[in-house]
Amino acid sequence: MRKWLGLALVVALVAAPAMAQALKGKVAVVLDVGGRGDLSFNDMGFKGTDQAAHDFGLEMVEVQSATAADYLPNLRNLARTGQYDLIICVGFLLGDALAQAAAEFPQQKFAIIDAVVDAPNVMSIVFRENEMSALVGALGAMAAAHYGYPNVGVVLGIEIPVLYHFEAGYRFGIDWGNKKAAETLGTGPVGLLYTYTGSFSDIALGKAATEAMLAQGAVGVYNVAGPLGIGDLEAITEFHRNQGTRSGPPYYFGVDANQDWLGNGQHGLASGMKRVDVGCYSAVEAVVKGTFTGGITSLGLAEGGVGISKFVDLLEFIDFGISAGALKPEDREATIANWAVNRGTVPAWIWRAVDELEAGILAGTIVVPTADTVDEMQAVRARYTLGAP
Amino acid sequence: MTASEVQPGGRLLRGVHRTLTGLHPALESVLAAVVGLLVGAALMYIWGYDPWKAYWALLRGAYGGSYEIASSIARGVPLVLTALTFSICLRGGMFNIGAEGQVYVGAAAAVCVAYFKLPPGLHLLVGIAFAAVAGAVWSLGPALLKLTRGVHEVISTIMFNWIARFLVFYLVAYVLVDARQGQRTVQIPLSARFPVLVRGTDLSYSVFLAVAFALFVYFLLWHTATGYEVRAAGLTPTAARYGGISIRRTIALSFVLGGIGAGLAGAATTMGLPPTYAIISGLPQLMNLGFDGMAVAMVGRNHPLGILVAALFFGGLNAGGRVMQFYGSNPVPLEMVRVVMGAIVLAMAIPELVRVFPAMAASGRALVRMLSRRKPAEEAA
Amino acid sequence: MGVNGYFLRAERITKIYSDGTVAVRDATLELRPGEIVGLLGENGAGKTTLTKILSGLLPPTRGQVVSPRGRVRFSSPREALEFGIGMVHQHFALVGTFTAVENVALSQERPLAPLQLAEIRAKLEALMAESGLRVPLDVPVEKLAVGEQQRVEILKVLSRDVALLILDEPTSVLTPLEVDELFRLLRRLRDEGRAIVLITHKLKEAGSITDRVVVLRKGEVVGDVPTADVTSEELARLMVGKALETRVGRAVELSTEEIPVHAHDREREGRGPGVLHVEGLSVAGDTKPVAVHDLTFDVYGGEIFGIAGVEGNGQTELVEALTGLRPALKGTATIRGKNILGLDPRQIYKLGVAHIPEDRWVLGLVLPFTLAENAILGVHRWDEFRGPLSILRWRRINAHVRSLMQRFEIQATGPSAPARSLSGGNQQKLIVGRELAKDPAIVIASQPTRGLDVGAAQYIRDTLVEMRDRGRAILLVSADLDEVLALSDRVAVMYEGRFMAVSRPEELDRETIGMLMGGVTAGGKR
Repeated sequence: MRKWLGLALVVALVAAPAMAQALKGKVAVVLDVGGRGDLSFNDMGFKGTDQAAHDFGLEMVEVQSATAADYLPNLRNLARTGQYDLIICVGFLLGDALAQAAAEFPQQKFAIIDAVVDAPNVMSIVFRENEMSALVGALGAMAAAHYGYPNVGVVLGIEIPVLYHFEAGYRFGIDWGNKKAAETLGTGPVGLLYTYTGSFSDIALGKAATEAMLAQGAVGVYNVAGPLGIGDLEAITEFHRNQGTRSGPPYYFGVDANQDWLGNGQHGLASGMKRVDVGCYSAVEAVVKGTFTGGITSLGLAEGGVGISKFVDLLEFIDFGISAGALKPEDREATIANWAVNRGTVPAWIWRAVDELEAGILAGTIVVPTADTVDEMQAVRARYTLGAP
Repeated sequence: MTASEVQPGGRLLRGVHRTLTGLHPALESVLAAVVGLLVGAALMYIWGYDPWKAYWALLRGAYGGSYEIASSIARGVPLVLTALTFSICLRGGMFNIGAEGQVYVGAAAAVCVAYFKLPPGLHLLVGIAFAAVAGAVWSLGPALLKLTRGVHEVISTIMFNWIARFLVFYLVAYVLVDARQGQRTVQIPLSARFPVLVRGTDLSYSVFLAVAFALFVYFLLWHTATGYEVRAAGLTPTAARYGGISIRRTIALSFVLGGIGAGLAGAATTMGLPPTYAIISGLPQLMNLGFDGMAVAMVGRNHPLGILVAALFFGGLNAGGRVMQFYGSNPVPLEMVRVVMGAIVLAMAIPELVRVFPAMAASGRALVRMLSRRKPAEEAA
Repeated sequence: MGVNGYFLRAERITKIYSDGTVAVRDATLELRPGEIVGLLGENGAGKTTLTKILSGLLPPTRGQVVSPRGRVRFSSPREALEFGIGMVHQHFALVGTFTAVENVALSQERPLAPLQLAEIRAKLEALMAESGLRVPLDVPVEKLAVGEQQRVEILKVLSRDVALLILDEPTSVLTPLEVDELFRLLRRLRDEGRAIVLITHKLKEAGSITDRVVVLRKGEVVGDVPTADVTSEELARLMVGKALETRVGRAVELSTEEIPVHAHDREREGRGPGVLHVEGLSVAGDTKPVAVHDLTFDVYGGEIFGIAGVEGNGQTELVEALTGLRPALKGTATIRGKNILGLDPRQIYKLGVAHIPEDRWVLGLVLPFTLAENAILGVHRWDEFRGPLSILRWRRINAHVRSLMQRFEIQATGPSAPARSLSGGNQQKLIVGRELAKDPAIVIASQPTRGLDVGAAQYIRDTLVEMRDRGRAILLVSADLDEVLALSDRVAVMYEGRFMAVSRPEELDRETIGMLMGGVTAGGKR
């Protein structure tokens, strides 16, 4: 608190006279057209900033965008007031607008999640999604080997560089899991089924893609398309209903948030978590502590920015779901029980292997490949063909 | 024996109509705006927001200074064009809700200029022409369906909107995509962009395109024989036919003109809207421009000059609505802002809706009667 | 009925429309069972408004409607119908795609109850047998002629067994025979103890059927007298309020509402050159495969060729075929030697055709348009009104309208007044003015005076005669037999798409024409 007051004084003197009368610092979160209520990316951005504002005694406002034409005006409107210590853009879609706004308001501090904006006053927070995707891929591959499924699946959104991180890591993880399963069980490698749906909003596309993958013997489907996961899970739930099972394969692998609790925790085995909240929190913290610098901040397993879901996260996100009204409080215990049963369908050696991979990545002994361009992605695909000719 | 007596519609509508027809248009709009603002205020009050502070934020955010006014105008530019699409066709007796899809197609065509080089200025003009032609061509689909198969334009334009949507989704994702930025198309080069008119705002020279098109439509409809034919066919198709007017021609013409308007809106939102100058995947900067244009058309009484005023108002609502979100100690979240905007727009559109729909229904019935009457004769011949 | 001897009383009714028009002013009117009341007045006198108030369609601005049971207020025509008041409007309230039986079923007390169409059909058949009003029961009513549609309306109301029957200009579309039948029916309904209101502007009708006449002028009741105590002259004077000649500049016989015969001196000179030549023309109708059957005739300059007949006998189809609104099946038609079949209306107008259409609201005018806009309908592409780039020359157009207003005595505030704000007569004068200003070789006039008051109708007739005298050809189609006989140099009687006879009017007596119109030839056989 004391540190922050000192900072406020400096900012007030140097940057904006308007700040002088502001008793509290202010931070703003700008969301893209997706808006609040996704229980994932955007809500986590809000949650992390809100938490930081609370912890550091700041005032926080949230600005949503009705259309993409609002991105730049929203940033300008906020920056023009000169009252905000930090403006956080949640989502790569705001990148172009931020590049422009950052140039127009060089004194204003910005942060952006998931995009790189090359400006001295912008902290670009990116995640090493390849790392947690590798863990999910390994888990899926080994579970498939254990149950004798030929494939694992992933449903992706629009083909953008960020999603290449997921795909590359997932491929690496499956390959790693295949090797582990060959050592342990002596099984052959499982293949990968993947689809870029071209949408981050059309739930029906997620369902259709998942149904196709399940028909081809996918042990689980990793959702890398935000809301489409609802459709993925729906397809998986229906599949279970048709074969008369309540747990076990096929599994749902969530993304961004801990989505294990969705559908009362029956089929969500694990989630590749991307802690947007951690990213936003650390940006605010950096401003408060005076360590804010422009440039890229990369968050991976080591920084707690990504990870595979654990029991602790489950409790946190179940409460998140309950507070958003997406889960009934009385279903809390049942959800936890369902989740535990489902996790129990995967043998302990697999969980130990996943921990081993995680430890290797943390120690730097295992390096998960990634991709930022089509060419790099093609190279990764060529290296880990995973059943494709 | 007066006109007010023969209006169809329910008792309530007739009552509203009778009350409103006696009013001066400007007074009527002001009254409607006041009603809308009061409803919006009541909604905000009920949900615990301070209406006066919120409206103050709205007003300041919309027209509080040159930056705000420029932002409001910028937001209104594409709406002028899509509103004209709707109004031209309504004046021609059709309910064309295809502007939405035509905007998408026009925008996609405008982006195509990124694939070749031309001198500045000329490059821009070529882009505008691309978008206009694409919008017009897309509009021809419903027009031809109506003229050859009698498919009602409401049905066909809705279907064409969906086709356009997914077609442009596809183009954005696979054809026009920027290999390094998969979330959007290639960017329109500097030489084909509308220069920014007011630095530090979204307002570009595209505003002149919108105003020019509005004036052109006004002149065409009220000062040329061609426009006269469109209006006559729209109001009383039977009498127009008696007057030697080819209704097929006026239908085709209003669709094509409307398509041009919507296509230009696509150009304005790609070539004239900082900072992206490209179509973003999911079309978030194009989505709903066509539908919002219908509301603008209604508020502007389906008159090009009224539409200019209405678009400024509508742009102001949107620009001010952004500010309502962070103004004061208890700001209004976007969801509530949009509810309030909806109430205001609805209140302002009601007088025109009450006028347009009974009239449309009546002339539609007359046309159907006339066409169905002709059919056996044609078959026999 | 009631102990007080009346069924319904309108007490000091005033109706002011929202646009400020005072349609009815302080009118008091009593309706008694067993009496036929004629409601007389010019167009716009307030007859329709007053009856709409009586039948619950409109609320009065001031005053009240009372019955012996107390004050009466209806929120819908259905309520009024349940109370026993039925109205047959000039513009019908029928569902076009429904048959007569279905339309009647729709008007019943519980229209959504399981439809007992068979029962309703039986009832209708009985009613038709009694009343002599025949209609096809199984054809969608939009396919019926106007006269037939009106009969469906009357049957609809009669089927509800009403105590008060209001008919708005019921005879304008009926044959003389049908009028007689209708009147017989009305008398019988009266004798059964019903109250009947007959809106009309025909003095003869008022004199022949009513027991009492109420005359309205400009919304005020200016006379309420037993029919026996009043002469036609007195009624006409009450209705018009002033001598007619001041308007048209010439004397008009008011006494019998006879239309002055203009063709007396038709022998004065030979007819002019042939203008319209029709040969072997057949035209399809909406319901009938052939509505106009193999017609051959000529219309010459300097003559009025009148076509009499009950509506729905092919007149509409004939006119539409000659004006480009309907394709012909076979045959030829030429104007001054040039073919007109297959051309669109604009091309036909260019050949010198003026068309005064039968329905001014549907065809003749774009009602929301201004006078100026309506004045160029059909001629809007003429160089006189259109400059380069298709730009309309509004200044010239407005000047043109002003001269039309002056020449044709169109009462309006100016060229920018909307056409719908004009009275029916002025609307029709606008059409006539527009068409005649084309300086046509031939005027095709279809029902040119329908629904107009005496003064306006006479003015239009005079104008047509004047055109004839200037050597133009006139093809006049009218359901008003008196009009056709008075104006025409030659008369054709049309029945089922054929001419029953073509003759000079003085060679035909009314009875013969009446028979011909009904399809009965001189020999007396159908």
